[in-house]
Amino acid sequence: MPSLFVIRGNDQGTRFELEEAILRLGRDKSSAIHVHDTEVSRHHAEFRRTHRDFTVSDLNSSNGTFVNGKRVNQHLLASGDQVQVGVTLMLYTGPSEESHGTIGNSVDIAAQATPDDHSRIIHSVSQSEGSRIFDAHADLSQNSWLARARSNLQVMYHTALAVSHTLDIDQLLNRIMELIFEWVEADRGCVMLFDPDTRRLDPRVRRTRNNAEQGDKIMISKTILDFVVEKNEGVLTSDARQDDRFNPGASILKLGVREAICVPMQGRYHVVGVIYIDTSTSPQQILERGGTARRFTEDHLKLMIAIGHQAALAVEDTRYYSAMVQAERLAAIGQTIATLSHHIKNILQGIRGGSYLIEMGLTEHDESIVGKGWKIVDKNQNKISALVLDMLTFSKEREPDLTTANINAVVRDVVDLMQTRAQEELVELAYQPAENMPDLVFDPEGIHRAVLNIVTNALDAVTDLDSPGRVAVITRYLLEKNVVQIEIRDTGPGIAADQLSKLFSPFVSTKKSRGTGLGLPVSQKILTEHGGKIIVDSLPGQGACFTLELPAVSPTTSSTTSRDAT
Amino acid sequence: MDGRRNVLIVDPSDETRVVLQTALERRGMQTMAASHAKQGLALARQHHPDLIVLDLEIDPSGPDEVAAPFAEQSRIDHAALVLLGSVRRRQPLSPGEYVTKPYHYAPLIRKIEEILSAKDMETNRAVAVCDSWK
Repeated sequence: MPSLFVIRGNDQGTRFELEEAILRLGRDKSSAIHVHDTEVSRHHAEFRRTHRDFTVSDLNSSNGTFVNGKRVNQHLLASGDQVQVGVTLMLYTGPSEESHGTIGNSVDIAAQATPDDHSRIIHSVSQSEGSRIFDAHADLSQNSWLARARSNLQVMYHTALAVSHTLDIDQLLNRIMELIFEWVEADRGCVMLFDPDTRRLDPRVRRTRNNAEQGDKIMISKTILDFVVEKNEGVLTSDARQDDRFNPGASILKLGVREAICVPMQGRYHVVGVIYIDTSTSPQQILERGGTARRFTEDHLKLMIAIGHQAALAVEDTRYYSAMVQAERLAAIGQTIATLSHHIKNILQGIRGGSYLIEMGLTEHDESIVGKGWKIVDKNQNKISALVLDMLTFSKEREPDLTTANINAVVRDVVDLMQTRAQEELVELAYQPAENMPDLVFDPEGIHRAVLNIVTNALDAVTDLDSPGRVAVITRYLLEKNVVQIEIRDTGPGIAADQLSKLFSPFVSTKKSRGTGLGLPVSQKILTEHGGKIIVDSLPGQGACFTLELPAVSPTTSSTTSRDAT
Repeated sequence: MDGRRNVLIVDPSDETRVVLQTALERRGMQTMAASHAKQGLALARQHHPDLIVLDLEIDPSGPDEVAAPFAEQSRIDHAALVLLGSVRRRQPLSPGEYVTKPYHYAPLIRKIEEILSAKDMETNRAVAVCDSWK
């Protein structure tokens, strides 16, 4: 609720709440704002709601209406304005602000200091001097200096923590502003960052102390911003008149004092933005504080510079990191597309070959050629569907479709499926199921896919060997570890040590035209979804052994996991 | 040699080998096939085919490295060379025909037939020249 608080005159201490849209001020008793001041006309002035604030209009009064010491006919009030009628001085407070509004509209850079703005720079500290925050002061006793240094150190430590814990710039700046508010009696604060493209300062974070009765917008003078950015110096400003500032008896003191600190965010390479905080000390508060209005000190300024530096480094770091991640992502996408199109191209080539044979067989009425062609088309059709399934499995976050089944049966299906191919290629594919395998809860389709990918790899590894290859599939139920193992062992060339680390990286294949680079990553993902893992054991020249291990979840004990078992 | 044209297919894909062998044999040619470059080169040196179809992706060593020994062999044997590759090349690296993958089989087979019949005409002319010397 906007209000006028009388800080001087017969009505000192009275608060007039501006409830109506139009209120009249005067000596007349009927006035909504009735002041006891002989120098005020009966119908002196009018307050009219304009958007959220009020406009004061002088009603041709004898002695005039003054805002911030200047006579006005009409004036749109802003929070903190001082309205004077006769000898009565009132402080205008605007509507309370929302804590989270659109930031863009709540911070303004004033192109020029308003004539009423008496803010001056009373201190400026070079960015490079920010590191001197822990310098001892001659005028402070050792203990108080130590206490303050410790508190400062704590602020810096928390800032460093905040910086290291997040990669989101806005979140980081919010946290830093929060820390600043915990440490210094600021009423409002904002962080502005230079837009990397336009080089304009954009407000990114804005914070207001809850009980602060402040104006809607934070107005920051462009002169001060330019000074901070160009000179790379932090500034401490105050609008208190120099002569009266430390004199509790002076009347001007009762108007309250606004102080502000504005520091550059100096990064490794550039000034990336500014941090601004301000505070207004009301007359009551000045009295409570024993007459001193100063809340911001040079120490605050120095520490703010150090915080600004930390924050700037974090902003730069985050930006470079994002750029790097983006570049890596683009490279990965490029590799993915290259691998996929290569694989799809091979499938297409196969389908064209098969179709060509079918056409030839039909023209020549030779069914054996049609059959040959059909076999090729069919095989490539399966390749496409396997590729699509792998891509889907890999791309989605999914829950395994848990149901009660027997691992032995699932692995048997895979071995049967691959037996034809093994025979064609004169490879021995042996299966040795565990005799003690109980029914367990798992995703049979997923495990089928995971085992199939690895058996396919094993067959690929032993094809085209000089000696006949062998692939052995073994299942085990390890009661003591309560896990199930599916072991696939081949007599192929094995895996080179430098390839082991890339084994589960997607779209990396050593199988040339045959591999999509998705098989192992997909199998691993399925096992991970089951809380299991894939163990690889291989020495070059001695074959490879892949062990799929997953926890044995019994149907009776898995009430929470076996949602599909019911 | 029974007078039939002899074609060697060097391609890692068993499907491609089956399709080309089936189609070319239907057209009265003799075929041989290899799934590895080394094996293919051995066949070429042993049987001196009239034409070699070579997939340049048969070996990860790179298309130029794969093609070089075959180009050399085809020069010695006066064999034609048809190269199957992924990227369209600026300049064929040998006196061979270059076909970009994925290709259609009908034009490829037509091309193989054309090359072989052109070779036939050349041979016939050579034979005619030889005859005139007599």
